[in-house]
Amino acid sequence: MSYREKIAWLSLAAMAVAYGPYFVLATRSPRPWEPFPHLHPLGLFAVVSIVRMLILGAGYLYLRLGSPREERSARDERDRAIEQRSLNAAYYVLIAGMILVGCIMPFSSTGWTIANAAIFWIVAAEVVHYGVVVASYRVQASV
Amino acid sequence: MMQGSISNRIRTLRFMNGEMSQAELGQRIGLTRQTVAAIEAGKYSPSLEAAFRIAEVFNVPLGEVFQWEVKAAPSKAS
Repeated sequence: MSYREKIAWLSLAAMAVAYGPYFVLATRSPRPWEPFPHLHPLGLFAVVSIVRMLILGAGYLYLRLGSPREERSARDERDRAIEQRSLNAAYYVLIAGMILVGCIMPFSSTGWTIANAAIFWIVAAEVVHYGVVVASYRVQASV
Repeated sequence: MMQGSISNRIRTLRFMNGEMSQAELGQRIGLTRQTVAAIEAGKYSPSLEAAFRIAEVFNVPLGEVFQWEVKAAPSKAS
């Protein structure tokens, strides 16, 4: 498995560990009696972001120490082609999500529902991005 | 459109050039070992520039490294 494929797997894992629980907790009914209604979702998002950064940081360090320098060298033409393809796919997911969140949801939802929907579509685009990277490397892997 | 597939003789040419490793070939043409392996297995088609570089390393014409094999079109029933 190439270094870049490992990085893509790491990014997918970090996203699943951080944002999986986040969306489960975020869809729970809000607690309006709290004196600071925005504190709970903001705190949750901050914790999730920190957890994701910690996982990515530790993972990058581990992969960097365990991979030879030449594997971590500059991207070659296949890496660039895979990156381009994955970004193309992710772009359409992000655009579809942003149209939904920015143009349709404001007529039916408010506040954190819209914010969480935007976060969801950003995460979905990232999942598609890294998913296409992993799938492309898997399909083209021969050794 | 004409259907076909690209095959290559990189494995043979590596063998004929002192059992050159995929990593060494990759280093000489600016590709990673994994990319050379994918090209060799026919799972990735390199750019024209990379294809010429590979031919240059083995000192052979491009056509001796890569071949285009035309697939027979299915006959249309009249």
